Amino acid sequence: MNGPGRSSIARIPREEHFTSRLRSPAVSARIGVWLGICFLVAFVTGLVSHVTQSPSPWFPLPTRPSWGYRVTQGLHVVSGTAAIPLLLVKLWSVFPKLFARLPQGRRNQALVAVERGTIAVLVAASVFQVASGLANSAQWYPWDFRFRATHFALGWVAVGALLVHVAVKLPVIRQALTHGVDDPALDRASATGSSGLTRRGLLHSTWVAAGAAVVLSAGSTVPLLRRVSVFGVRSGEGPAGIPINKSAAAAGVVAAALSPAYRLVVRFGGRTVELTRKDLEALPQTSADLPIACVEGWSASGTWTGVRVSDLLALVDAVDQDVQVVSLQQDGAFRQATLPAHFARDPLTLLALRLNGAELAIDHGYPARLIAPNRPGVLQTKWVARLEVTP
Amino acid sequence: MTGRAALASLGVVVGAYGAFRLLELGWANLTATLVWLAGGVIIHDAVLAPATIAVAALATAVLPPRLRAPAAGGLLVLGTVTLTAVPVLGRFGARNDNPTLLDRDYTAGWLLLVTLVLAAVGSWSVLRQLTGRSQTHTSRPANGVEED
Repeated sequence: MNGPGRSSIARIPREEHFTSRLRSPAVSARIGVWLGICFLVAFVTGLVSHVTQSPSPWFPLPTRPSWGYRVTQGLHVVSGTAAIPLLLVKLWSVFPKLFARLPQGRRNQALVAVERGTIAVLVAASVFQVASGLANSAQWYPWDFRFRATHFALGWVAVGALLVHVAVKLPVIRQALTHGVDDPALDRASATGSSGLTRRGLLHSTWVAAGAAVVLSAGSTVPLLRRVSVFGVRSGEGPAGIPINKSAAAAGVVAAALSPAYRLVVRFGGRTVELTRKDLEALPQTSADLPIACVEGWSASGTWTGVRVSDLLALVDAVDQDVQVVSLQQDGAFRQATLPAHFARDPLTLLALRLNGAELAIDHGYPARLIAPNRPGVLQTKWVARLEVTP
Repeated sequence: MTGRAALASLGVVVGAYGAFRLLELGWANLTATLVWLAGGVIIHDAVLAPATIAVAALATAVLPPRLRAPAAGGLLVLGTVTLTAVPVLGRFGARNDNPTLLDRDYTAGWLLLVTLVLAAVGSWSVLRQLTGRSQTHTSRPANGVEED
């Protein structure tokens, strides 16, 4: 890895000061292909996650496969993580371009200014997306913007700028990919310097870095990697073998959840049924193996036991409609969630009382929590107080 | 050319939709976002990129030529993977009420990564020496600039 000559380090360097053959389109294009794939996977799975969290009548989501969201959101975080080494090496390989001279002529200068503008947008949005996504996956929010809405908006900006970038660079990309990686035709004019590392060696190191970044973190969602993922945000430990996202203390529900006065209220129009935890236990119990899969990318599968939501709704003769699931929480964005009608009638959708054979821990949502197939963790309402259907 | 123009147009539409969604979130959200957008570019261009050049210059100055390629590969892997681990190494999101979050010894994990990278760099350089590959690469002129 090399840079400008010693004498120029203190000054602003020029493009020709960078002499390494490694900073070549041969490298940029090959890494760019994989970076583009990672961005596309993250974008598509991000759209899925967005639609899942904000149900829309135009995109009704299926209840099967029950592990669907676990896979798409796991892929979202994995592709974003793999993109970090790829993006860093990609930026390294094109860094001299930052110091390129402007061409002659107004028209050419204007064109270059526009192109550099799109590059600035692409780089800023890309760095923003991977950095904010990475911090979010570790539940670190050192910013003042609304993460979900902003990350969603900038996902479109990044992909839009990427499409423009690919369109502009297509001839360079085509040339780079049709020539051998070490072809001198792909040297920049000033870049004939050779050091220890070959382009092939640089690319292999980059693939290793991207792979290592994934393997060392993905254990939070891929059980096979649990022991290998030394940078996993969660080891997978927790009450009844499942980690927790938000504790009862953080949600401010400890007293209400443990109170003997707790009643589950099921309401359909004017009809209301109130059930104690004992009443719930006396109803027919169903068990289902379902994952809890969070937007932060971690997931874990458990055996949940409880009452079918459809059975509870039948107690008030609720018709086939969307259900409002309300928590004991007094505030918070996910205090209340909509359970679409086709999820409510699904036989795997439970109001769970037990997890993996043990009493539901308070941090898992005691006295009762919602668990439904193919649904993001934030919408699997804990400490459920009410199920309401508006006629 | 029409294919490229179509692709670029699609990109403009997609990007404009994102910009519209961003503006919709209000002025305060926009300024907070712009700080991070600009900050990311500045941290990369003014801190990370020069730091990489400085580390490369230092490594070139102190390492014998046969070690340069393996060291460059090793530093690349260690540096980029370490950056992906910054949030867990700092345990910035840790919460007292949730012991299931950030519940690993990340420093030990990082030291393990360093050990593995050092082992890989060591084996790579031994392998290069045995196969004599290092000669073919270090004999090329370096064009008067510190390399690798």
